Amino acid sequence: MMDRKSKIKTAGLVLVILLAIAGGMKVGSFLPVIGAHETPANIYLSNYYIENAMEHTHAANIVTAVLADYRGFDTLFETCVLFLSGVGTLMILFSKAKVKDKTLLKKQQEEPAEPGEKILREETVGSYGGSILDAAFRIIMPIVMVYAIYVLFHGELSLGGGFQAGALLACAYLIDRIVPSFESRMGEIKEENMLIVAGIGTFLYAFTGILPMFFGGNFLEYGKLPFGRLVQGGAAGLHAAGILMIEIGVTVCVMAVIMTILEVVLERTDFDDD
Amino acid sequence: MMEHLPVLVILLPLCGILLCPLLSWIRASWGKRAVMCGLLGALICAVMQLAQVVQSGEAIHYWMGGWMPPFGIEFVIDGVNGVVVVLVSVISFLTALYSSPFQPHDRQKWFQTAGYYVLVGFLAVGLLGMASTGDAFNLYVFMEITALSGYGLIAIGEEKGPIAAFRYLMTGTIGASMYLLGVGFLYAATGTLNMADLAHRLSGLADSPLVILSAGCLIVGFGIKMALFPLHGWQPAAHSYAHPAADPMIAGIMIKVPAYGMLRFFFCVFRETSPVMQLFFDCIGVMAVCGILFGSLKALRYDTYNKILAYSSIGQVGYIALGFSIGNFYGIVGAVLHILSHACMKTGLFYTSGALKYRYGIHVTDEMGQIYRKMPQTAVTMVVCALSMIGLPPFAGFFSKWYLALGAIENGQYFYVAVLILSSLLSAIYFFRILEKLFMNPETAKEMPVIPTEEMSEESRPLSGGRLELPWQMLIPLAAVALAVVGLGLFNSALVNDVLRAAVEEVFLG
Repeated sequence: MMDRKSKIKTAGLVLVILLAIAGGMKVGSFLPVIGAHETPANIYLSNYYIENAMEHTHAANIVTAVLADYRGFDTLFETCVLFLSGVGTLMILFSKAKVKDKTLLKKQQEEPAEPGEKILREETVGSYGGSILDAAFRIIMPIVMVYAIYVLFHGELSLGGGFQAGALLACAYLIDRIVPSFESRMGEIKEENMLIVAGIGTFLYAFTGILPMFFGGNFLEYGKLPFGRLVQGGAAGLHAAGILMIEIGVTVCVMAVIMTILEVVLERTDFDDD
Repeated sequence: MMEHLPVLVILLPLCGILLCPLLSWIRASWGKRAVMCGLLGALICAVMQLAQVVQSGEAIHYWMGGWMPPFGIEFVIDGVNGVVVVLVSVISFLTALYSSPFQPHDRQKWFQTAGYYVLVGFLAVGLLGMASTGDAFNLYVFMEITALSGYGLIAIGEEKGPIAAFRYLMTGTIGASMYLLGVGFLYAATGTLNMADLAHRLSGLADSPLVILSAGCLIVGFGIKMALFPLHGWQPAAHSYAHPAADPMIAGIMIKVPAYGMLRFFFCVFRETSPVMQLFFDCIGVMAVCGILFGSLKALRYDTYNKILAYSSIGQVGYIALGFSIGNFYGIVGAVLHILSHACMKTGLFYTSGALKYRYGIHVTDEMGQIYRKMPQTAVTMVVCALSMIGLPPFAGFFSKWYLALGAIENGQYFYVAVLILSSLLSAIYFFRILEKLFMNPETAKEMPVIPTEEMSEESRPLSGGRLELPWQMLIPLAAVALAVVGLGLFNSALVNDVLRAAVEEVFLG
């Protein structure tokens, strides 16, 4: 039963939410209509990007040009946010015992003597595999990975890019991590090591930006990258090369971070309810 | 490389952080050294760029990727944020140094040290970026970096850390969303994100409802991030339970840089839009006065050292906001000076709090009796910072309050002067209570068991005269902060006239 005080509190909260919704509806009428042509957001900067993106960066997708080149500095730190989230998750959860350690401890307490007894790990890891799934995931995994690479390189033309490609690569690992039964797993990784990989991936992004600084450009000025002879199309070609380099960095970072978080959480989640 | 200084301030620590896990994996201590070197490099670059700004008298503009400002992102360094950048880099470097005795020496736990230094480094990078940027959305990105590393550092702190971090996560996310909403409304009204360009294009839109709405959202957004009075809910727990080594940075500068962001946004971007500015002055003045009184009164109630400091921070942030609401030259100078001096004082006090926890596990003021015999340096810093917080003349805290009072008198707002004096008296009460416990309590510290630490086992000999000073990595920050508090006080007129005056008059009031 709620007492009087908490009833008043709840009523107050509901009132605030209703007011906020009413206010939000009123705000909607001040905002420009979606897609309207003569709004400041659509005529000021957008026109510049639409007219020049192709010429400046050779990126067929204007969104990619804005994301990775005109505002590439923001994207660098968005990638850092991901890296940071991986570090944060590991730091917060690593002091919690892993499931296999907990089970080992319990076993040892129950049957202390009998040295050399090997505790089978099947008991500790929740696995849902069967022979069909064991065979099937091996077919699916490479396809997912090839698709990930395709998404990475296709980011310049259509929807896609580093973030999505990294997520797909991590999905390929996730399939290996949760689908097969224990014997058929292809490998195990330590979450700390994935953190190193994530750091290197993000560093690749920062390094792509730092390189032009030694050749007379500003930070992230891909047009001054020193591979002019390898790339066709002059400055715009170099911009495309720079975009590709940072997208690869983003892919590595996103993949490694998702794998870190998955490992950290999965190793500490007990799937058995008892 | 001189022309790259503004971005090098961010890049040097960033490279150190990103390679930190790899280097610590190779050898446990390399990672933290990389981060520290990066922060030291940032400090040198920050000082050089400030010198350059002061010498030339012009703001430095740095275009990311070489794109022209409204289309790309730019960093703008003028006298005011140059000083803030120097402040942030000094305190970040000192805190990184200070943290090193807190780390485990176990080789197997290399990633714990690496992770901690990544979090501290990113907190520094986020704050440096927030202070340097001239782009509204870029500021949001750096705000996110700051907040995320803050959540991590609070959650790995003491026992109640995760809960405090979760509360901050909720509130901080609302704050960041409000900021983003505000910027979104501005973008809908003007179509640009560059701050200078925004200011230019807003001048014709003074009474557009979108602009007023966005000003409201920005007040709430920055207010939550800087823990301004009615929006401070996350702050006391977060500052009390954060990792003791990172706490100085969280309490000292994590709430100051958003305050600088508010100054930049309202006095640069909304300057031409008078109804918005009027709303801002009224709103922020009420919040500031309530906050100053609330924080000071609440701090009287607690016996936990960190809680007292946390509530006193709410009051002190109120002073900064009071400076904004006064809004004339002296008001803004007072606010900026208070950002600087309070950052130094509060960082110093949290250094002493961390030192007491490190050596004796002291949390409560009752246990601090006679601690000055054991840890003289800690006690000196504590006394200097506490006297400065109260606002006694030779120290920094007095002069920032002095400028605030000058500004209030110039505007005829005598009520604000009364509030300043009253709250100074209140803070005198609670700080003298701490100092009284420190000097007058019979020797409680003697009975406190010393927490064994790594560096003591190396030189297990008892130190002379029963003293048990801290390792040098902790002594240097303690001494540096105490010196900074005195120096900021003694040289305040030079700082105001040579560095701040030109920038404040031109950028914020021009």
